[in-house]
Amino acid sequence: MKNVEWVQLTIVVLIFVAVTVMGFMAARWRRTGELDSLDEWGLGGRGFGTFITWFLLGGDLYTAYTFVAVPAAMYATGAISGFFAVPYTIVVYPIIFVFMSRLWSVSHRNGYVTPADFVGGRYGSRALSLAVAVTGILATMPYIALQLVGMQAVFETMGLGGDNLLAKDLPLLIAFAVLAAYTYSSGLRAPAMIAFVKDGLIYLVIGAAILYLPGQLGGWDSIFDAAKTKMESTSPTTGKPVGSFIPGEAGYSAYWTLALGSALALFMYPHSVTAVLSTKNRNVVRRNAAILPAYSLLLGLLALLGFMAIKANVDIKGLDGLANPQLAIPRLFDQEFPAWFAGIAFAAIAVGALVPAAIMSIAAANLFTRNIYRDFLKRDATPAQEAKVSKLASLLVKFGALVFVLGMDKTISLNLQLLGGIWILQTFPAIVVGLFTRWFHHWALLAGWAVGMVWGTITAYNVVNPATGKHFGGSLANVPFTDTQVYIGLTAFGINLIVVVVLTLILRALKVAEGKDFTHKTDYLADAGDPGVKDLDELLDEGGTGPAAAKP
Amino acid sequence: MSKLSAVRPAFWIAGVLLAASVVVPLLVSTYARDEPRLWGFPFFYWYQFLWVFLSAIAVSISYRLVIHEERKRRAAEGLSADKEGDR
Repeated sequence: MKNVEWVQLTIVVLIFVAVTVMGFMAARWRRTGELDSLDEWGLGGRGFGTFITWFLLGGDLYTAYTFVAVPAAMYATGAISGFFAVPYTIVVYPIIFVFMSRLWSVSHRNGYVTPADFVGGRYGSRALSLAVAVTGILATMPYIALQLVGMQAVFETMGLGGDNLLAKDLPLLIAFAVLAAYTYSSGLRAPAMIAFVKDGLIYLVIGAAILYLPGQLGGWDSIFDAAKTKMESTSPTTGKPVGSFIPGEAGYSAYWTLALGSALALFMYPHSVTAVLSTKNRNVVRRNAAILPAYSLLLGLLALLGFMAIKANVDIKGLDGLANPQLAIPRLFDQEFPAWFAGIAFAAIAVGALVPAAIMSIAAANLFTRNIYRDFLKRDATPAQEAKVSKLASLLVKFGALVFVLGMDKTISLNLQLLGGIWILQTFPAIVVGLFTRWFHHWALLAGWAVGMVWGTITAYNVVNPATGKHFGGSLANVPFTDTQVYIGLTAFGINLIVVVVLTLILRALKVAEGKDFTHKTDYLADAGDPGVKDLDELLDEGGTGPAAAKP
Repeated sequence: MSKLSAVRPAFWIAGVLLAASVVVPLLVSTYARDEPRLWGFPFFYWYQFLWVFLSAIAVSISYRLVIHEERKRRAAEGLSADKEGDR
């Protein structure tokens, strides 16, 4: 603990305390009822408007990990592994514009809290609903763990850590205990309120960095030239170029499939859906699709900080003496900015980890409560019981993530997060296609999901990192029977779709029974204030033969 | 639902705009080059930044078109100004 940066640390602690107070006060913010149902605790009362949602979704999707990892990837291997995040966040909004308001409407009409609720109601299949729920939880857990990794990078740069085990992990433990406490007491309102601080700080820091640093480092031309020189030099371990400054012809397919696959996956993540369902009417999410690209601009500029770190020649050796590209951005701030401003930047990253971690844990807890606890353990759970189980589950999820980060090697979290993206994409056919048509058979969807999951996992395992010789070496692999390198998630998705279509044709030819559809086609266009579920019940014959309803 | 035939042109334009802002930014071969630079930014980088704006504009226009048509549909179905619904 010799070289602690006291100025930075003081600023980070002050901002952290302010955020904590906000987190607890949020319980009383925009209160419409008691916090004893999932609508209140888990979805913030389903009343957020365009403005709050812009901050909430921005704080939710553009996580601390993203802010550390994207420039780190730019620093280490250049455009293909880093800058694809820009087309990714460009194409995601037109895509969600098309389907997200339908998911909002049907969820609002039927009281759905999670994407698995919708799948269960649409296809009348608890098995499929369980598959979607389990995938969501599996994909979210490592993502929460990675938020901690972002925080750790900041703490390490401030000089916290070292050989003393307790001192090394104590800041993280405190931060997470506090986060768990106010998420428990305030639910989704806590991250919604803190998101204002987080996003404000991030815009401030990136704005200052973009205006100030190029002048310090000799201008954009020389920053890009330094990056170009590094990327085109030959790596001693692989004998190939270090990375890509601008993708060559062989990298085109990798670049666009990473962007498209990640874009399709993003709003399948339960934390994205949670934020969307907390909005107050059908159009909030569509309006946000038009204004959220402001964050994409931010992310693109942030990615370029990775190139600035190359030009600034930052030292990325961790306290353990090993090179760690994740430290590139914290070290760049530490080196180029006065201590007080670096403190603000670090606070932005640390608070930036809290917002998504809170929403992710709420989303995972909601999945557990609605689609495992209520569907399989306690069929007659009351809203108050659901809220209670969800609160406890959110604690458990965070605790699990913490044990994960402290107890295991960081690379395991990274591998699992890589797999999480591939996995979550496999729920796309059931969720998104289900919003438009029920043509896909629910058994076919389940089979396609299983094939996509297994194929994606095996293929990702077989990618060996040429430098370290370890498995899960990256997210790219050749399309079967070709030598075109693409994102594994997207290939798995393609195989998934083929299986679904072929099996649907077979199952329909064999006239295998379909599940019961608990939704009505008018549900998909309904808006807040429309005549509610009452008239819907008359349209549906009660007590069908299909599996249990996912309707409350 | 019978009003659907009347809303087609707006949905067509919105569909084309949205499809273009998904497909065009993914055509890597059209922008994977260094020159011409703009304020020191290689073409590859500034062109993608440009698309952040173009895509946001396309989505905004689509929003206007779609909302306008939905209002018409809802008015025709006698919705919108209705009493409080299911919550």
